[in-house]
Amino acid sequence: MNCKDQPELRERLAAEYALGTLRGAARERFRRWMRDDPALARSAAQWEERLMPLAEAIAPATPPPSLWHRIEARTGGAAASKKDVLGKGFVWRALGLVAGGAAAALLVMAMVLPLQRPGVEYVALLSDPKTQKPVLLVTAGRRESRLHVKTLDPSIRVADASLELWAVPSTGSPKSLGLVPSADRAVIGLSAAADQALGNVPVLAVSLEPRGGSPTGAPTGPVLYTGPCIKDW
Amino acid sequence: MNDAERLSGLLSACARRDRSAFSELYRATSARLYGVALRLLRREDWAEEVLQDCYVSIWTHAAEYRGALAAPMTWMTSIVRNRCLDWLRRPRLEVPDEEGELLEQTPSDRPGPAAELERVRGAQAMRRCMDTLEGGQRQAIALAYYDGLSHSELARRLREPLGTVKSWVRRGLLRLKDCLELQRPA
Repeated sequence: MNCKDQPELRERLAAEYALGTLRGAARERFRRWMRDDPALARSAAQWEERLMPLAEAIAPATPPPSLWHRIEARTGGAAASKKDVLGKGFVWRALGLVAGGAAAALLVMAMVLPLQRPGVEYVALLSDPKTQKPVLLVTAGRRESRLHVKTLDPSIRVADASLELWAVPSTGSPKSLGLVPSADRAVIGLSAAADQALGNVPVLAVSLEPRGGSPTGAPTGPVLYTGPCIKDW
Repeated sequence: MNDAERLSGLLSACARRDRSAFSELYRATSARLYGVALRLLRREDWAEEVLQDCYVSIWTHAAEYRGALAAPMTWMTSIVRNRCLDWLRRPRLEVPDEEGELLEQTPSDRPGPAAELERVRGAQAMRRCMDTLEGGQRQAIALAYYDGLSHSELARRLREPLGTVKSWVRRGLLRLKDCLELQRPA
């Protein structure tokens, strides 16, 4: 660093780095200097410690539960708990979550159903089991081979990961219906008519997956949202 | 075991790839760190995104934590503050609190982020020392720390020449340091 013999300047830069007023290219440069200059790094750390009571005065705020799921997914934790959500465990969990939020979901559904476009014969409303807030509306016609997906809560979108939609049948393992689209309204293509994909499916669920979807074809991440899938015919 | 020792222990366990320690660390610190990010960024979606990156970084770099250099909470808070300041530097269209609504909510003879300064309990020395600063110095330092304002943003917000604001910050910091050192029990 070119200011080794200027203790006052070093002190000022360290203080302004900790305060945050050292910005842009100067901040980058200071970070590089700290790497090769332990005394400078120590001086900055002392300033951070000194100013810490200011941060302690900030009111804490609880982040949404989905944040931890995303962090887990990105640090490889979701893969470690894979067994919990696979196959029957997943079905059981998804059903359990639905049972919890069923009343609320059904109530919202009762309001949503009459508003549906004609030809809608399957309706699923997925909600966050913790807040019971509806987040996703999935509809289909019996003989159509596509799902209409409407995102009711755009804040569910995740960076660096994907949300995958699953049909959870009453018996057997969940089947992927595709990734939750990033648009507010979008269509997911099905390989067969909705009757075949959803006929025996009481529940839809969304799990957090690596970007691009589950690499195994079965859910690997935590179940974030679930909801009953209703036949309206 | 005090809080700092417990958090230090959790960080060392994270360095050994102990996932349950990581989840405990998250439970113990996320509300404080989310508060810090939310205060600087003023938007939940941004704060969540930044915090997500920060915890991934804490997990990845836990082995680099040096207890001798910083308390664990200071180390993690600095990671969050740094990431937030980088975030605020991004070119973007939306600027939170651009018109200085926060400043307008508070009488002009008080420091801007008054709520926080009022709440500096457990840190009486800091509070006393902030009180010894001149109004402009105190306001500039609080706005820089809590709102992440740069020198030129401070100048705009406080409607003062850049040179004045820079000198408030510089002198304010020096005075704060002298005062805090005097307050420290020998």
